[in-house]
Amino acid sequence: MGTAYLKGIRVIACTWGWAGSWAGSVLSDLGAEVIKMESNQKLDNNRGHFKRGETGVNSGEFNFTNRGTKSCTLNMKKPESVEIFKKLVKISDVVITNYTPRVMPGWGLGYEVLKAVNPGIILVSLPGFGSTGPDHDYVAYGPTIQAASGLTWSHGHPGEEPILAGVNPADPAGGMYGVLSVLAALSYRARTGIGQHVDIAQSEGITTFIPEVILEYTMNNRIRPRMGNIDEIMAPHSVYPCKGKDKWVAIAVGTDAEWETLCKVMGKSELLKDERFSDRFTRWQNQDELNKLIAGWTKGFTPYEVMHKLQKAGVAAGASLNVEELINDPHVKERGVYIEQNHPEAGKSIVFRSPWTSALTATNPPAPMLGQHNDYVFKTLLGMTDDEITRLAEKKVIY
Amino acid sequence: MFYKVLDGVKVLEFGHLISGPFCAKILADLGAEVIKIEEPGGDEARKQEPFLGDIAGPERSGTFLYLNMNKKVITLNPATVTGRKIFAQLLAEADVLVENNSLKRMKTLKLTYTQIKKINPRIIMTSITPFGQTGPYKDYKGGELVNTQMGGVGFISTREPDTSKAPIKYPAHLFSYQAGLCAAVATMAALFYHRGTGSGEQLDISEQESTLIDVMNPVYNYSYTGHIASRAGVLTAAPTHLLPCKDGYIHNGFVRESHWRQFVNDVMGHPDWADKEIFKDYLSRAQHWDELRPLLVEWTMQRTVDEIYRESQGKRIPIGAVYTSAQVLQDRQMAARGFFVEVDHPQVGKIKYPGVPYRFSEISQDKPTAAPLLGQHNEEIYSRLGYSKRDLVKMEESGII
Repeated sequence: MGTAYLKGIRVIACTWGWAGSWAGSVLSDLGAEVIKMESNQKLDNNRGHFKRGETGVNSGEFNFTNRGTKSCTLNMKKPESVEIFKKLVKISDVVITNYTPRVMPGWGLGYEVLKAVNPGIILVSLPGFGSTGPDHDYVAYGPTIQAASGLTWSHGHPGEEPILAGVNPADPAGGMYGVLSVLAALSYRARTGIGQHVDIAQSEGITTFIPEVILEYTMNNRIRPRMGNIDEIMAPHSVYPCKGKDKWVAIAVGTDAEWETLCKVMGKSELLKDERFSDRFTRWQNQDELNKLIAGWTKGFTPYEVMHKLQKAGVAAGASLNVEELINDPHVKERGVYIEQNHPEAGKSIVFRSPWTSALTATNPPAPMLGQHNDYVFKTLLGMTDDEITRLAEKKVIY
Repeated sequence: MFYKVLDGVKVLEFGHLISGPFCAKILADLGAEVIKIEEPGGDEARKQEPFLGDIAGPERSGTFLYLNMNKKVITLNPATVTGRKIFAQLLAEADVLVENNSLKRMKTLKLTYTQIKKINPRIIMTSITPFGQTGPYKDYKGGELVNTQMGGVGFISTREPDTSKAPIKYPAHLFSYQAGLCAAVATMAALFYHRGTGSGEQLDISEQESTLIDVMNPVYNYSYTGHIASRAGVLTAAPTHLLPCKDGYIHNGFVRESHWRQFVNDVMGHPDWADKEIFKDYLSRAQHWDELRPLLVEWTMQRTVDEIYRESQGKRIPIGAVYTSAQVLQDRQMAARGFFVEVDHPQVGKIKYPGVPYRFSEISQDKPTAAPLLGQHNEEIYSRLGYSKRDLVKMEESGII
């Protein structure tokens, strides 16, 4: 793999679902060797969604979130598995997990045990609500966490009921804080030699992204209303209908100069003399009327036409892209954001690279098949013999 | 010996509004010394709501106060010759430069990576822009609204059958913060690798790409089936919705079939309709949602959010409580973990802010220091660079600081 940020760092990923798995995938792009622990005894939920291939365990969701990791199967219900796990801990640097906090201690693999095996080990846990506190065992998926953070209540059209978001921002936020914590603890260990346990609450992670919602209350004792596309001061600032079915474009005007430009591009210079829209404040006050006028113009064009016209003139505008448009967008393509990989069983798969570019960030191979790296882990790393492996497989330890 | 993670790391921030400052805040929270350069007039975030007591003012913006805790700020006009000289002095001693300016502006100010590298070859330059440093849209303007739509999360922003309503953005500036976190992660990786080696690099962070992380399901779905997700389409995936209660809303997160069974049997007490053929599995329940919803709502409306939340979670059913900000602040779980931190500021006094989401077993998290006043550290930093108090007066008169 050549030189990379985390070359020589080995990570054991006890992950499932989205946040933890994807954190493992990013760590692998950063150069770490990431070994995902799995078991037929209880498969990662994501292996079951959008099944591909003959074995039925290579799902779209799994392949998207586990790219670059290695898979090893160990049935943690068996005491022998726990001992094998400890051997792996001895030669690893990091254990990352997003299981509910009772799971790993339940296997006899709490932080104190890991530390006794390898004093330099770093454990990063990222359960939905953290590993401490009265509700730490609550069952948490993205929407559960977003509900607890104030995000869900604040999402929706102005004056209407809250509405469920189409994506779950709590998962990537939690995963990213997981990667951050691994890097922070590795930096600390590099200087001091000391390992540690870093505990993240995903519910807190997403709350750090919406401080305005919290501060409106702590500063002004007010619950921030649902605002849809309305900005505190910018107007026009909305998403407008375009030519075609369900086609939209966002336009955001900050300054007077941008307003002038917008009017000129629209061929509506008369609006510049209209008192209703003469300064930022009046435009904000009269934004409903303003939005109607703009929608009248945008309807004649495609989202891309509006975007390019306005951006070339210096006004912020962006097409509301659906997934097909995104993948085929010339800019996204040129930057190599989505990559087509050939998964050995699932076939042609579109995956996402890590969300930044730098010389030392790699884009690693497709997600592993279940137990694909058993030989590597048990023979190469742990020095087991074929006989031992066969015996453990028969006993459903390696399983 | 007690260390912070980034003890001794010097970060220069030339950022404004959210993504750049949030990246630098994360580094500051981990112990780096962050010097923020504000141009005369200050960071635009100082003009962002909410303001304490609805009185606007550069020291009263909640957004600014949150984003700039634990930092030092100086004012500097980098467009002047003296300003440029000072900027170069600061660059020479920095380990990291975090900036979120347009490519055009950095070029005008002679602050491209090629130019900065000549001043300090070991610097890590973390550049955050709406669309990244390359590609046909690299000079396009962004912002939260545009980014939400170009980042693919806008088109599927809501789950509602009626697509005559426009896609919307997410609350406040969520994805600008996410870009800041991605930038901080890339910076930490680069610091881990380069520190002490004498090498450096530029990290290219695109706000669009850090938003695209969230568009996972639609991508693999499209990749394998050709299906294009829309706001309407999401509904059929699984009947997961918000349901009104006596005093708010719950989220019915019946992810597994067992969750649904447990909920109707053990929490709702097995109503007669539960065994109806049309509710037998999630596909069928999704198809007959219009019949199912009123049956559930009749029951939820008799109960409070917390009653349903606590009882269901006690049985390990993933029901979510849709909390308002007021309830989030009172929530026993976040309180027990001490997530919210009270910070005292000379002008706005004591306010509670969201803290950090991680707890290190070996490093105590210090109480943050309040965001600095405009130009608060001019004297300290400029005297370190060799300028006298008299120089400061002259520079202020000349519009440099």
